[in-house]
Amino acid sequence: MTKKRTGVFVCHCGSNIAATVDVAAVAAAMAGEESVVCARDYVYMCSDPGQNSVIQAIKDNQLDSVVVSCCSPNLHEKTFRENAKAAGLNDFTCEIANIREQCSWVHKDRAKATAKAIRISLSAVKRVSRNLALEPIGIGVTRRVLVVGGGIAGIQASLDLANSGFEVVLVEKNATIGGHMIQLSETFPTLDCSQCILSPKMVEITRHPKITLMTSSEVQEVTGYVGNFRAKILKKATYVDPDKCKICDDCAKVCPVVVPNQYDLGISARRAIYIPFAQAIPASYTLDESSCLGLNPVVCGKCKDVCEAGAIDYDMQSRTVTEEIGAIVVATGFDLYSQDHLGEYGHLENAVDGLQFERMCSASGPTKGKVLRPSDHKEPKDVVFIQCVGSRDPARHCSYCSKICCMYTAKHARLYKHHVPDGRAYVFYIDIRSGGKGYEEFVQRTMEDDETLYLRGRVSKIYEDNGKIRVYGNDTLSGQNVEIEADMVVLALAMQPSAGTAEIAKTLKIGRDKDGFLQEAHPKLRPVESVTAGIFLAGAAQGPKDIPETVSQASAAAAKVVTLLSQPRLIRSPTVARVRSRLCTGCEMCVDACPYDAIHLENGKAVVNDVLCEGCGTCSATCVRAAIEVKNATPLQIQEMIGAVLSL
Amino acid sequence: MHEQQQQQTQYEPKIVAFLCKWCSSAGSDLAGVSRIQYPANATPITVMCSGSVSPQYILSAFNKGADGVLVSGCHIGDCHYMEGNYYARRKLYMVSELLQFIGVEPERFRMSWVSAAEGTKYAKVVRDFVEDLRHLGPQDKLKAQRP
Amino acid sequence: MINLQELRTRARDLLTKGEVRAVVGYRRGSRGMAAEPVVITRPEEAAQLVWDPSCVHNLALYLVEDRKLLKHRRQTPDKPIAIVAKGCDARAIVVLLQENYFKREEVYILGVSCEETGVFSDQKLMRRFGVNSQALTDARFDGTDYVVTSAEGEQRCAAREVMAERCLECRQPFPKVNDVVLGEEKARTLEAPFAALGRFEQTANTQVARWDFWKRQFDRCIRCFACRSVCPMCYCEECIVDSITFTVAPDTTAEEKANRVRWIQRSATGSENIGYHMTRALHLAGRCIDCGECERVCPVHIPLRLLNTKLERDAREKFGYEPGASIEVASLVSSFRDDDPNDFIR
Repeated sequence: MTKKRTGVFVCHCGSNIAATVDVAAVAAAMAGEESVVCARDYVYMCSDPGQNSVIQAIKDNQLDSVVVSCCSPNLHEKTFRENAKAAGLNDFTCEIANIREQCSWVHKDRAKATAKAIRISLSAVKRVSRNLALEPIGIGVTRRVLVVGGGIAGIQASLDLANSGFEVVLVEKNATIGGHMIQLSETFPTLDCSQCILSPKMVEITRHPKITLMTSSEVQEVTGYVGNFRAKILKKATYVDPDKCKICDDCAKVCPVVVPNQYDLGISARRAIYIPFAQAIPASYTLDESSCLGLNPVVCGKCKDVCEAGAIDYDMQSRTVTEEIGAIVVATGFDLYSQDHLGEYGHLENAVDGLQFERMCSASGPTKGKVLRPSDHKEPKDVVFIQCVGSRDPARHCSYCSKICCMYTAKHARLYKHHVPDGRAYVFYIDIRSGGKGYEEFVQRTMEDDETLYLRGRVSKIYEDNGKIRVYGNDTLSGQNVEIEADMVVLALAMQPSAGTAEIAKTLKIGRDKDGFLQEAHPKLRPVESVTAGIFLAGAAQGPKDIPETVSQASAAAAKVVTLLSQPRLIRSPTVARVRSRLCTGCEMCVDACPYDAIHLENGKAVVNDVLCEGCGTCSATCVRAAIEVKNATPLQIQEMIGAVLSL
Repeated sequence: MHEQQQQQTQYEPKIVAFLCKWCSSAGSDLAGVSRIQYPANATPITVMCSGSVSPQYILSAFNKGADGVLVSGCHIGDCHYMEGNYYARRKLYMVSELLQFIGVEPERFRMSWVSAAEGTKYAKVVRDFVEDLRHLGPQDKLKAQRP
Repeated sequence: MINLQELRTRARDLLTKGEVRAVVGYRRGSRGMAAEPVVITRPEEAAQLVWDPSCVHNLALYLVEDRKLLKHRRQTPDKPIAIVAKGCDARAIVVLLQENYFKREEVYILGVSCEETGVFSDQKLMRRFGVNSQALTDARFDGTDYVVTSAEGEQRCAAREVMAERCLECRQPFPKVNDVVLGEEKARTLEAPFAALGRFEQTANTQVARWDFWKRQFDRCIRCFACRSVCPMCYCEECIVDSITFTVAPDTTAEEKANRVRWIQRSATGSENIGYHMTRALHLAGRCIDCGECERVCPVHIPLRLLNTKLERDAREKFGYEPGASIEVASLVSSFRDDDPNDFIR
């Protein structure tokens, strides 16, 4: 190796460093190093004259590397790297030795602080002498976005992105978009009609020239990396051409098959050929293959016979389409916790879940907006609302708080009282969590204006008795046991990630947290990004949240995508891992340990994808063969830094 | 005896501190900004992630004469790289166990989680470490015996 | 009990039908009954194969050697190589498969179950009978005792008196992963797992006592690297602890040569020996399947199993990880659990 020519610049930082550290002694010590050809100190290295002196010294002494002993690299690493660049060097030939925050400010003993400053500076000299000149990695970008999930999160993200000028492919598993929000009756805290506020957005999705909507479709495979993904999407056959369908309902009238309607959570029925609900988007009937008698004119064929538009095609095939995209927004939403887990609570005939209750309250719902209990379709006069069913119960169910149940239970109680003014509403709760604009006032109105009785405590026993549901509980505020003979019970079931979340997480190689929700890249600072670059999260798939929060997160994810895709080229840090192929045996330990799936095997050797690698170095510490290391933080550099640190 | 005690108090342990860039090094910066005083015995080497600290680094530091080695990273769940500190915890647990198994004083190798907001904690970790090492005296078990 | 004839027939048939290119097994050595490893390629050689308590070697090593030879010759064989594998050998093969050292279809595992016995410890034989396996003409296990035949005639002793320590502690004497297996899977109660480790910890129960012990051990090491050479897991082309194995290939640059990290000096001094053995133990964590070969071949009798089983026990108890149990799982150090030990961290 040719001899290095390093310059060391020791900053006084006025008296911030110089008061405790003998800066001249540090410079002198560095000057004694073999690779150091120039070492000097200056009162404010980051001032204009200071910076100019660094540039000048690089030129005058033909320096090939620079160490600046000053404040934290968070403050001026960029400054001095720019100086190095201005003098014709590569950014990475400049290293910072932090002798202020990590030395002069925390020590008083001048001799000891000076010695430590020398150790820190020396380790930076050692490190920089083996730094490689690296150029930032630039990659091209496909300016299209895949949005997975057509609930309010996916809809909002798609619209924001399309309105920013990006092409969007919106993929929804079900026959219509709208998600759970379209099932809701009214929304808290303003009690405006859910369908009224969502339907226009759904229509906008179909009309938007930049949005390609794929319903009854699933993402099967995603390859590639940030800016350059390729997605394979399975478009399932619906046997009805949405462009021809006139939604006249003639087909459903003749269909002999009657099955429960999932959209109404089984409290109403539909035919094998059906439209999920009147405002469904796309506005088309769809044929449910699993309940149809056979997609065959010989077996039935009634719907096809009556369809004047000729929209029904029994020979329609599922097909796979491939889309090139630059970024992905995952908005796969939630499901309610299954009543199967509940034991005694579960599956009582007159115990409905929150979504079923929403359908009942909805004017377009199966009961046309009447609250009727399922067993005899009579108006219930005593209704018990139970909160935290499945939530906040680490021993038996989910440990987390589902966040929205306090609010929607308050809403349910109010809607019930509005529908049945002479009815009595009881709410069992553990705590009321009503943080949010207008939320606390909403709950107060439920209690006061709508005279709902809130009982603080868990339900201890619940069973069907002579057409009623007996609910035993304890009111911990009065210390009394409570027994209610209810006509109907409404369970505020926990929110859990939707059924396909595990699968989509696997397909996209993004993590899930301990509860199965999608894992954000950082809980505080990167809440809408997934661990994988270029994949973003929105809505309840990432964690329980209400509509305003979901919409905010969806718009945030869209903004993140816009930031990403607006760059002419994506610039990534070049301090990534590199494989020393000769030593690699292809054991895949690094592949398993990489948090970014940035390493794969090619011909039995590990290969790093520079674009995906974040340079954390976990791979290098995992490899027993020293066959992988991070550029400019190699084991050799660290070893020499250890030596420097222990030299004095 | 008195002279020995005198020497004991003058003994300054050398500590190599591997700090992750995002949490512990930032926490150490915060200690600086807050002017929290602690002994100058621990010299930091900032690494990208505690997960990048190979057991080899620790053995090497002891071999080169460190009296103590500290590895400090983000708290579990807060790793900038999601999982690096989980890998670090597992690997370095074994290093710590193995060192104790062969009879190296358990106080000599230390791991801590120090967040970017825990300047006070970083100072305390170093202070405690230096204190413990002063009692132990120089580390010569793993130090290179070179001619 | 394993029918030796069946083993030979199996091996012969594999070679006759051309299903494998070679069989790695044991044959009688040149002295006494002591077995030695053999690679046979012709059907008639199958008659040489033996299986008895002197088959101490971990033959998985020869799969590694085979790979290295093939690589050197730039050959890609179209047939697998067969190997006679005890429980521990089979676990070693599982780790090698887990680490993609070769593919499952490239090896034919002719499993032999140790059932309720194991292999000899020559040291124990010496202690009990004053001779090692090279002076024995026969040895068999009759269900309760070992019956050994030497110049002195036939003698009996309890299994634990002559069996290798690791065999007494063995939890998996049956080769779970196999293509064919001879012998049965039997429960054993000879010695608790990690018994020797437990005894050591009881004896050397202070930090000072442990250091005294290990210092003596490590000071003795002459860095002959026999432990490394016999270990099937030490298959790295270049060992990171020394420069002896540094391979200079046509594409090796001067910079690469200059930039070799010398973590440990070559001199056999105490500190460097510790560095070597600590590194080796850590590199074997989650990979060592306790075949005990390193300890057997050590010319200065360093109890290396203690280091390896210490980490094996930690892996099992703290991380729920069992080396050599599954080809599919991620390695010990490339995986983690939320509830890994955290108490040791401040």
